[in-house]
Amino acid sequence: MPEPRPTGDRTPAQRRADHASLAQLSESLVPALVQKLSSSGLGELEVREGDWRIRLRRSNPAAASAPRRADRPRLGSHADREGRGRETTPTASGASQAQAGAAPAVPRRTMVTSPAVGVFRPDVKPGARVRSGDRIASVDLLGIGQDVISPIDGTLVEVLAGAGDVVEYGEEVAAVESDVTVETDDAPAADDAPGAGGEASA
Amino acid sequence: MISRVLIANRGEIALRILRACRTLGIEAVVAYSEADRRSLPAMLADEAICIGPADARRSYLSAPALISAALVTGCDAVHPGYGFLSEDDAFAEAVRAHGLTFIGPPANVLERFASKEETRRLLANHGLPTIPGSGLLGDEAHALEEAERIGYPVLVKPSAGGGGKGMRMVRSPRELAAVLPICRSEARAAFGDDSLYLERWLEDNRHVEVQVAVDRFGHGVHLWERDCSVQRRHQKILEESPSPAMSAAGRRELSERAIRAVVAAGYENVGTLEFLVDNDGNAYFIEINCRIQVEHPVTEMLTGIDLVATQIRIAAGEPLGFTQEDVPQRGHAIEFRINAEDPEHDFRPGAGTIERFNAPGGPGVRFDTHAYAGYEVPPFYDSLLGKLVVWGATREAAIARGHAALNELVIEGVVTNAEIHRALLVSEPFLAGKFTTNLLDRVGGAAFLAGAVRT
Repeated sequence: MPEPRPTGDRTPAQRRADHASLAQLSESLVPALVQKLSSSGLGELEVREGDWRIRLRRSNPAAASAPRRADRPRLGSHADREGRGRETTPTASGASQAQAGAAPAVPRRTMVTSPAVGVFRPDVKPGARVRSGDRIASVDLLGIGQDVISPIDGTLVEVLAGAGDVVEYGEEVAAVESDVTVETDDAPAADDAPGAGGEASA
Repeated sequence: MISRVLIANRGEIALRILRACRTLGIEAVVAYSEADRRSLPAMLADEAICIGPADARRSYLSAPALISAALVTGCDAVHPGYGFLSEDDAFAEAVRAHGLTFIGPPANVLERFASKEETRRLLANHGLPTIPGSGLLGDEAHALEEAERIGYPVLVKPSAGGGGKGMRMVRSPRELAAVLPICRSEARAAFGDDSLYLERWLEDNRHVEVQVAVDRFGHGVHLWERDCSVQRRHQKILEESPSPAMSAAGRRELSERAIRAVVAAGYENVGTLEFLVDNDGNAYFIEINCRIQVEHPVTEMLTGIDLVATQIRIAAGEPLGFTQEDVPQRGHAIEFRINAEDPEHDFRPGAGTIERFNAPGGPGVRFDTHAYAGYEVPPFYDSLLGKLVVWGATREAAIARGHAALNELVIEGVVTNAEIHRALLVSEPFLAGKFTTNLLDRVGGAAFLAGAVRT
């Protein structure tokens, strides 16, 4: 992800222009994009205009782009012996939540990953409100709990690992949805970070 | 009894350990960092588990992450490979304390051989010749007196630590007097200890090492020697056996003295004793490596003994199962280290994606590598991509196979040092068996390559 640019370096005129283009984006573009996203089977859609970028992400966890344990390629006759790896099951037919609700209501889902290799211990149940920095679970590393931290304010919508499950470093263990329905950030297309535009995944 | 091993390493040695486990009917779990998710050992293992980010301090050097990974995947042993935590006695002890078997020397043995200076004294007491040197130096007058006794040139060395800090070679009393305060302050800054000692400087030396294996019951064998004189800035590039620098009688005598000394000193498991050999064929012990070494396949080609499997069996408490008479030194073997580094640009290490790849093959050719077409060489670790090992009935036959194998080797997309090996195989000092450890650095890598192309 690109470093968020400080907003302090803008003139009031620039800010007004930004707000105007944001309003235009959300009024005219977003409904069309939501339509496009739900009919395409894509997990994510991103459009850029001027200095603004808008990204819609389907709430289906299968569409998340972070690596899951099952994503590691396997070779050889032992490839199917890893019983603990959960398969990701892409559900391309699943309608985006945005379709059912009001036009721009696409919840922003953030996956939470394990900070260590060890045994998973959940703390917070799905449905709970969490704040950025809150501990939602821990991973037992040789008897010492390593905190699993929510990266954003929002609602813990899913816990992917069960109590006592073995988790590896970087494995997705929970999902948090922010209250912000449409994610926008001011990343000029010129200095865009690699991967930001290529994340659309089925 | 070991039934499931955590491989706490990466690259070609992780694959090598995996193969030894398979041979013994043992399951293997590969612990990998995020940068090695698509590595060959991670993909081929019975199970693979991500232990941390690319930064080795939080993955391959993290004892808690490795031990946790071993426990949660149901392993009963840990193989540390080489480098990383392989000779760390605290790690070996932590592994043991968690009810796991450390595949290597036990922690107390690692501790006994941890200090280079103490190991030299210990093994000298058990009959190994060491480089003539001084005890700890007192004042300047004492240093000059000791240097006179040893004979110039001498090497000034700090007694704590290594890595060349506080180390100077001097050729005269005046130079010695000038560098003493510099070495003291460097040693104090680097190690918090400014004690120094002197060692005779061997101008043109060869690096010869003896492979040993000792079981828990004190039964030990040597597996002959390897010559690792082809080096660049103290990094080995090419290793061979038998050593062209020593007579058959000299090799036998050195190997036998080495195994007698380490058995007497209480060593256990597989290890290597390193010696410097001077122009007159005198060997001086310098240090012991308490681990499997990069160049171990050279010995496997000559003896037919699987050294990694031997490590595992010894760690499991089994007797060695063979005697000195069962260890032949048959033919000649040469290993070429294939590194992702650019000989034309001062051997700068490289990274990137291997686009085309072909492994050499045929009789007497072995290529231990984790590389494949499409493999992305991560920039975080050492540059070793693989080890090309050739065997022949004679040194000439091995060199001929080396030529053929190096010509078959294709690695595109990442620059390798294969060119330096082709140059070595046609260089006069190498063909004459007269390569010394300082030769490449004296000539310079680029000049060496250029000279080889002309001849």
